[in-house]
Amino acid sequence: MKPRVYFLFFLLAVPVQASLLNPLSLGGIKPDLVLSLLYGIGLLTGPVEAALAGMCVGLVQDVGTAGLLGLNAFTRGLIGLGAGLLGNRIFDRESPANFLFLSAFSLMEGVVIAVITQVFYGNMPILRQFFTFMIPQALSTGLLGALLLRFLMRKNIITLFIRRPLQKE
Amino acid sequence: MHGFISNKKNLLALFLFLFLFWLLTMQVKSGRFTFMEKPVLAVSGFLERIIVAPFRFAREAAQGYLFLVHTERDNGRLWEELERLKLENAVTNELLLENERLRDLLAFSRLNRASSIAVLVIGKAASPSSRTITINKGAADGVVKDLPVITATGVVGKIQSEIAGTAKVLLLTDPASTLAVRVQRNREEGLLEGKIENCALKYVSYYADIQVGDLLVTSGMDGIFPKGIPVARVVKVTKREAVAFQSVIAEPVVSLSRLEEALVLKK
Repeated sequence: MKPRVYFLFFLLAVPVQASLLNPLSLGGIKPDLVLSLLYGIGLLTGPVEAALAGMCVGLVQDVGTAGLLGLNAFTRGLIGLGAGLLGNRIFDRESPANFLFLSAFSLMEGVVIAVITQVFYGNMPILRQFFTFMIPQALSTGLLGALLLRFLMRKNIITLFIRRPLQKE
Repeated sequence: MHGFISNKKNLLALFLFLFLFWLLTMQVKSGRFTFMEKPVLAVSGFLERIIVAPFRFAREAAQGYLFLVHTERDNGRLWEELERLKLENAVTNELLLENERLRDLLAFSRLNRASSIAVLVIGKAASPSSRTITINKGAADGVVKDLPVITATGVVGKIQSEIAGTAKVLLLTDPASTLAVRVQRNREEGLLEGKIENCALKYVSYYADIQVGDLLVTSGMDGIFPKGIPVARVVKVTKREAVAFQSVIAEPVVSLSRLEEALVLKK
């Protein structure tokens, strides 16, 4: 881990997601840049580091929104863990399959958050949200995230997050 | 297993997962924790303003150019409209004065016109669990917690937290949002709760007359919103036998996903 890069990532996560991506928003649905970067970190660093990074950035997002404190930290930690475990098995980090994995992670996170919110507030339209918010959100995150990762990997920008250089597979 | 436990990072991650789970369950009892909200809002609000500034500048420059192109044509039309409005304004002022005199005569209290602060939306946060926006005015401009946020169309939400130059607005559709409302048509009262995509009118008796299309306005009973501001329109009413309350779904009258400017009403 490179602490300064991570600090910047955590610092910029909420404002960039909240403001810069607004022009890409369609009916309130916009790609999740933070999740995409976290997935990339997971692929490169491993499950534990990515889980810790996910928890930190999730916590910053939790405090920055009106949601339950710890909810994003919990789900983003799980995503980091999942992406890290996946990274141990994926050889081609620029693979188009990243689109599917990112979409799946985004969708799973949406479902977990919706279920926990249901437990807290009750009577949430989960099924409608699944089709009108979570699936479009997952697809947009998958698409933008896969393209972004491809770009960051090719330009070696993503390696800013790791101490050692990428090994050739 | 031994290898997993002997690694400090693994243990830290495991501990943090358990801690987060505990944190979530604690909030079931005590409500949402907000102790770190202001420091994070200070940093994120400041950065949001910086990030948004060049985009806003470019957009305003483009709008300014388009405005200049159409200025001459619009100028004549606006002068005509201004003259007409001046006349209407004079008539309205007369009616207002007459109205006030009548109110005084009837010993009604003078209507308090709340002052307002125009604000720009500089950030939007939408997730399956919350709906908030960030605005470009804060405590330095007189924006404080729980002040109502509205547009010309109706209610947007209320201030959730504020720092010097930025504030976070809890939108009407956030699950943590509750608002005392009344049906404009027949004055039935209820509590409007956010449901992410829309709102639900709670505690409406089975026998209350609620119809699709009914406009819900603020009742003023919550001590936050002035009375009579449009809030939402009823889109679905479900009555079930053996259930004391109706299930009423309402759509906010303000298009919250396209919101760019709003007004914060000062007390």
